[in-house]
Amino acid sequence: MKPLLAALALGTALTAPALALARPVTMTTTLNTYGGDGAYLALYVTDQSGAYAGSLWMAGGKSKYYKHLSGWYRATGGDTSQVDGITGASVGQGRTLEITLDLADALFDAGYTLHIDAAVEDMRDSPNEIAVPLTTGNSGTPVAGRRYISSFVYDM
Amino acid sequence: MKKTLTFLLVSTTLTAAVGVPSWAAVQSMATSREHDPNALADDAVAGGSLILASADEDEDDDHGRGFLSKFRMGHDDDDEDDDDDDDDDDSYGSAQSPAPAGSVAPPQNGLFGNGAPPKVQMN
Repeated sequence: MKPLLAALALGTALTAPALALARPVTMTTTLNTYGGDGAYLALYVTDQSGAYAGSLWMAGGKSKYYKHLSGWYRATGGDTSQVDGITGASVGQGRTLEITLDLADALFDAGYTLHIDAAVEDMRDSPNEIAVPLTTGNSGTPVAGRRYISSFVYDM
Repeated sequence: MKKTLTFLLVSTTLTAAVGVPSWAAVQSMATSREHDPNALADDAVAGGSLILASADEDEDDDHGRGFLSKFRMGHDDDDEDDDDDDDDDDSYGSAQSPAPAGSVAPPQNGLFGNGAPPKVQMN
């Protein structure tokens, strides 16, 4: 009985910190009716020095178009492994993309910035369309994009 | 004895009536397949090797130019369907395309926890 209790206690002790270090964050991106095809969007994070820290989502599955997400592409060299498992379909005009991710607590209030690059076929690229500091204070506050994105908000 | 002979005669007649046309049809097919390119291709496929009419059917003929640049620079007047890139955004799994969400775990880039997998919804 004692070994079983010890194993359960150890398991709980190991699991609890992991659960506490991350939280679900919902990111909602609404596009304008810009009169074009579906938009490719790259959501990625830079640290306090502006260096690329990692990708959070890629909307659009064809890697040959990623060069038009120029901020993301410059940071990653177009490395598709950066978006393995976090890639979905492109987003049509006027539509809303809602993603819920289990994100590390360390991302918030630590100088990280979330960026969104956007590109639409036959239209101008829009790197860094959104740039919003990841803080608990900014949670729930909508941000307007420059060209294709009507609004972006994250909730935690 | 008569019964036996009658039986043999009938069976021989039936065999000849069914067998000769069948044999003739087989011979005819063998002759025609020698000159039928489709049949040759079928045989090649069945044997494990493909005969390709052209190996230059890569739809991605805009390498180095990008999917927007051809529109900015104008069409190249070749009347080819070089705008067929946007019709299958959901076709994942090619050599260079990333793994779609749900098929593998998110990258270990320190941004994600180990909890729930990503959820996505389009409205």
